[in-house]
This record gives sequence, structure tokens and C-alpha cells, in this order.
Amino acid sequence: MTNDSLTGFCSSPQRDRRNQWRVILWALVWALSFVAVTLGIKKEWFPFGVTLAGMAGTTLFGIATVLAYRRFLHETDELRRKIEVEALALAFGVGVVGGLTCWLLVVSHAVSATDFVYVFFLMLVAHPVGVLIGRRRYS
Amino acid sequence: MKNRLKVLRAERDWTQADLADRLEVSRQTVNAIEKGKYDPSLPLAFRISRIFERSIEEIFDPNPDDRPL
Repeated sequence: MTNDSLTGFCSSPQRDRRNQWRVILWALVWALSFVAVTLGIKKEWFPFGVTLAGMAGTTLFGIATVLAYRRFLHETDELRRKIEVEALALAFGVGVVGGLTCWLLVVSHAVSATDFVYVFFLMLVAHPVGVLIGRRRYS
Repeated sequence: MKNRLKVLRAERDWTQADLADRLEVSRQTVNAIEKGKYDPSLPLAFRISRIFERSIEEIFDPNPDDRPL
């Protein structure tokens, strides 16, 4: 593997896999931390100080996940990057449209404000769907 | 955009995976370029040009519809 003098970095399947695993592991830690803190708050498991530390930790794990994903995007093969960016655009679009629709439903008292969480789930689903669509489009 | 990547690769008896290794991209990228589904970035086009020792114009032929007026 040699460095690419034009782009300043080179893509390799091994590095892609390593970067992908980093993203998955950080996302798992983030999700577990989120669930633990949420349950902790609801069941009143921990004193307020511990809960606050848990919230800070969850935020840091989230930031670490975003940074790991950013690194993956930066170092991956250019077609893969294009597919990922298109999938992110789809997820963002779903988030904006879904969020505003949900907001209208909340304002009209058709659903409760807590139902906003489904918009996040929709975004989480939209991204892998976008990746699958992109892989099919360019194969 | 049309290109002669598949022909040039076949002349050297390289598989898509061989070319992908040389270009340091995924095999999917080579496949998508060959099929005209994906236009490579300028740095990748230069790498392709270097590997095949041809000018970019000899490898890539822009669609007549893409030419500026």
C-alpha cells in the first residue's frame, strides 16, 4: 500500500474494515450508555450526580461515534464515500420532513411530544436503506 | 462518461480486483467506472492515467451531450 500523492491518503479494505468496526463499537457503547442512563432516570437507580455524569458520558460517546464516522468517511474509497453521503442526505431529508410533520401532529394534539423519538428511529433506518440503494445503483 | 478502462485492463490481463488494488480503491469502484455508472474524481482519473500510461483523454471520452457549447 502506497500513499497517494494527489489526495494525501490512500484507501484500503483493511483500513475501511478497521474504521467501520470503530464506528460500530463506539455506536454500541453510545447506545448502551443511552439505555442505561434512560433506565437509571426512570427507575431512579442512581443519585443525581451519577445520572449527570452518565449524561455527560453518553454525550461524549456520541461525539466519539460521530468523529469515528467522520474518519471513516474521510479515509474510505471515493465511491463508498459518495454512497454514504447520499445515504446521509436521505436520512437528513427524512429527519427534516418527518420532524416537521411530527411537529404539526404535536401542535394539533394528534400525537404527544415524546413521539418525536420515532423520527430519530426513522432517520436511523433511512441511512442503511440509503446505503443499500446506493450499492445497488452503482453495482 | 464512456471510457476504455475495461479494454485497457483486459489488454494487461488484469482482473477488476487487480486494478482496484493498483488504484487503491474498491473493486466496486472499478466496476462502476467501467460500466459508466460512476465518474472518477480528478485525482483518481490521474492515477488511472498513470497506471495505463495514457492521457486522460485517451481513456475517458466525455458523452457528446456533456461537452460545453
